[in-house]
Amino acid sequence: MKRRTTMVSLIAAVVLLAVTVLPVVAQGAGEKEIVLDYFSGRVETVDWDAEKIAGFEAENPGITVEYEFQKDASNVIKVKLASGEVPDITTVVNQDFIDQGIYMDLSDAAFWNRILPSVKDLCTDLRTGKQYKVATNVTMGGLFYNKAVFTELGLSDAQTWEQFVANLEAIKKAYPDKTPLFLGGKDSWTLGHFVEFWAHGIVKQQLGIPGSRQAFLDNTVEWDAPNGIMENFAKALLELRDKGLLNSDAITATYDNQKEAFASGEAVIINQGMWVVGDIVKLNPAMATNIGFGPFPSVVKGLSPMVLCAEDSVYAISATSEHQDAALKFLEYMFSVEVQKEYSEARSMPSAFIDVESNWSPIKDDAKRLASAYVNINFSTEAPSGLSVDDTGRLIQKLLNGDYASPKVFATEYQKLWDNAY
Amino acid sequence: MKPNTTIVADARKTRLSPRNRLDWYLLAIVVLISCVAIIPFYLLVLLALKSPIGGLAAIRLMPDFHFVNFITAWQRSALGKAMFNSLVMTAGGVGLLVFLSSMAGYTIARFPGKLNRTIFTILLLCMMIPGIINTVPLYTLLIRLKGINTYWAMICVMAVNAMPFAIFLYSSFIRAMPVSLEESAIIDGCSWFEAFWRITFPLIGPVTSSVVILQGLGMWNNYAQAVFFLQDKAHRNIPLSISLFFQQYGADWPLMAAAAFLGLLPAVAAFLVFQRYFVEGITAGALKG
Amino acid sequence: MHIDTGSWHRYMALPAFLLFSLFFLFPLMQGAVLSFTDWDGFSTPSFIGFQNFVDFLHDARALQDVRTTVLFALGSAPLLNLCGLALALLLNKKFRGKQVVRALLYLPAVISPMIMGSIWYLLLQPKRGLFALLLQRVGVSGQGNWMLSSNLALVIIVLVNVWQYAGMTMVIYLAGLQAIPLEHYEAADIEGASSSQTFRHIVFPQLIPSLKINIITNIIGSLSVFEAILALTDGGPGYDTESLSIYILRMCYGNKTGYSTAVALMLFLIILIPVFISLRFFNKVEER
Repeated sequence: MKRRTTMVSLIAAVVLLAVTVLPVVAQGAGEKEIVLDYFSGRVETVDWDAEKIAGFEAENPGITVEYEFQKDASNVIKVKLASGEVPDITTVVNQDFIDQGIYMDLSDAAFWNRILPSVKDLCTDLRTGKQYKVATNVTMGGLFYNKAVFTELGLSDAQTWEQFVANLEAIKKAYPDKTPLFLGGKDSWTLGHFVEFWAHGIVKQQLGIPGSRQAFLDNTVEWDAPNGIMENFAKALLELRDKGLLNSDAITATYDNQKEAFASGEAVIINQGMWVVGDIVKLNPAMATNIGFGPFPSVVKGLSPMVLCAEDSVYAISATSEHQDAALKFLEYMFSVEVQKEYSEARSMPSAFIDVESNWSPIKDDAKRLASAYVNINFSTEAPSGLSVDDTGRLIQKLLNGDYASPKVFATEYQKLWDNAY
Repeated sequence: MKPNTTIVADARKTRLSPRNRLDWYLLAIVVLISCVAIIPFYLLVLLALKSPIGGLAAIRLMPDFHFVNFITAWQRSALGKAMFNSLVMTAGGVGLLVFLSSMAGYTIARFPGKLNRTIFTILLLCMMIPGIINTVPLYTLLIRLKGINTYWAMICVMAVNAMPFAIFLYSSFIRAMPVSLEESAIIDGCSWFEAFWRITFPLIGPVTSSVVILQGLGMWNNYAQAVFFLQDKAHRNIPLSISLFFQQYGADWPLMAAAAFLGLLPAVAAFLVFQRYFVEGITAGALKG
Repeated sequence: MHIDTGSWHRYMALPAFLLFSLFFLFPLMQGAVLSFTDWDGFSTPSFIGFQNFVDFLHDARALQDVRTTVLFALGSAPLLNLCGLALALLLNKKFRGKQVVRALLYLPAVISPMIMGSIWYLLLQPKRGLFALLLQRVGVSGQGNWMLSSNLALVIIVLVNVWQYAGMTMVIYLAGLQAIPLEHYEAADIEGASSSQTFRHIVFPQLIPSLKINIITNIIGSLSVFEAILALTDGGPGYDTESLSIYILRMCYGNKTGYSTAVALMLFLIILIPVFISLRFFNKVEER
């Protein structure tokens, strides 16, 4: 009896082992199909992507697109590249990879004459003058404000730093319970965006976008210059903190807190990108008509207000792909007017294609006005990929926490962060 | 169940029916601890039933009863398929782990020769090395073995990661057990190998249960390896499916909580099943001896 | 059919070890080589000798992380063991609903770590968390912000970690308690031993294997902590509560892969020392 149970359990274990260790791969023989690997980090459109892939495959028998989505795409792709496995098409692009020659030169592709010249410029690699990536959309960032409060207090877009502080003080005076400017600093990328918009923006305004991109590539910006950009930026943030114009938990509040505070009316102004709009409306549908969008002021005297106007939703093709023609065909399909109209509306972002007309967001008109009225800045895509918005945001946490003796020390630390990343 | 088993099992336990003051204290402590432990779970439920209006700031002690989250989460993350995948991989991983580690633990505990001592030392050392070091080489290896997007590769990788701990557990407990039971089997004409499967393995049921409970849970919740080795939709496990609710900026917490809630039900059920063996495994064995 | 299994017992560790070598040891050794390179994760690495290890000793952020990690482990490892043992002793008694209570205690560890973070933060967030609001309601207005004091933050992270993983430690102690042969209890009963005597002479010696396992795994687990910290403070403000494991992770994907490997090896050494000491201690106890 005992012996039998032993034997049974032994056999069961061995069978289990065999079943689990045997590869479950069942591949049909004699396939001559082209298989494209499409690697995406765009979580918002996972289902939509799959749908479009099916449409493409139906139109192109003989081409199969293997779709992989990863939340941690920027990490996963590094492991893939390190193992010599480059996906044919990817949405993850950074300057280091361009420098390594990982992506295919797209300069001769047909779609460029449909894309906004400003976006094409942002897609151009400065070292070679060629395009290794293509962006299908434009994203914008700036100050989102509560329209009702602004109208009631008679406030308008601040043109100077002093006017901005005056706006915030007026809000605080009229509504002591509300937060004039709400920060969600526990998610350090939100503070990193502060640096990105408010501080890097100055360089972009001073040198122009091509000039600033070159300066970032070469690390020639003097961040720690006496009375320079970072010192002024730090002074500005500390002024807001000391005058009580920020939320008291600016370092420990989250991005969720920030969205919710704005949606509920507790926060009057937040510094964000247009990705926040859809979520706010979801949290409080009544906000749809109450979201104002304005530029952010310059922390350095004598400069104009700015608005972030950057490329978004990029694609690249592998330089070593065996099926570059098929990959281009796939991009052409994805770039068709109907598909891009859907995408723009799904993501609530304006299209970079001049022939795509879409109704993408309640802030559409404001966005158009800002883009033409104020200085446009881009994302610092030329900064080294080792320098993340997460890291720059952490310096702001420390600044607001009083860990630096003076704005000057902060500027020095910031310079160090850059130097170490090159 | 044999009646005498339960009677003997009871004999070793103090009865905790509130008959005297000490027992009342104990009861109070148990209730308190349970309350503390249940708080995060209750929050998970609140979160899973949260309507989108107002966000996390609008969470109250009473749930929103927004049950549609469960349906949306189930569909959007293809959770059914993911549960099946996780089930196959966890069952396979745990099976492989228990089969190989119990044997290894036995021989290491009973026959500490040079070979076994070396193996044990290496395993112990590896338990202390941060696993992140081998990510890239392992990925390259799995590409060569055609193991990406397969159950078997994930099963092997997860079992191997849990192995040092499991072997440590088995060998420590087997060493503390009297060898006399096995010896009597040897006198009956068994080999040591057979004695392990006939005598020792059934006796260490509680240890196997803890391996299943502890390491099975780790496999059920595996993200660190799955993120690299399971790339297509058809092979996604539960954590990968749940990660779909992270957006580029922020996350959809209610849907994620709903998916996580559904995903943890099988894990809790497994715990309830396997903890029974804590008692029965050992009493049955002890009675035989 | 009869297979001669006469000498198999000496080689029963080999199947496990072979699989382990293929999927862990070989990749590990290949990976460890990277600690002597300046590899950024994508371009061709070049050999730089022990430079990474020298850099580590001058890396202020890394050294602060060592301090955080060690402090965390000093609090977390003993507390986890104490709580786990207390819970196991309590739940080894017989009472109605014991199975359910055990499952409840285990529950915090079951919830997916991905969502666990947001749940803890919902509870504990300064000023906005449910606890803070509850305290406000009973009149204790929270002026302070625990997250901004790195020592207080560490204490809270330790408590949460214990809260979350005491159930797992308990499971191993329970397995140990169950492994105590009944005859021992019966013998003690017959001899009229008091409960503290029973614990000292019967329970404790039998608990040594679980004690050893729990102490060693909790040392390892506490020194490689990252989930609890990421969830509660994300290592902030700045890098004040960052642990070494988080640093390794961030460096690995932040273009310093070679360096992160070297730091990982340093962490290995930091873990090895207390584990080695405990193992020596237990070997002596077991010999006695």
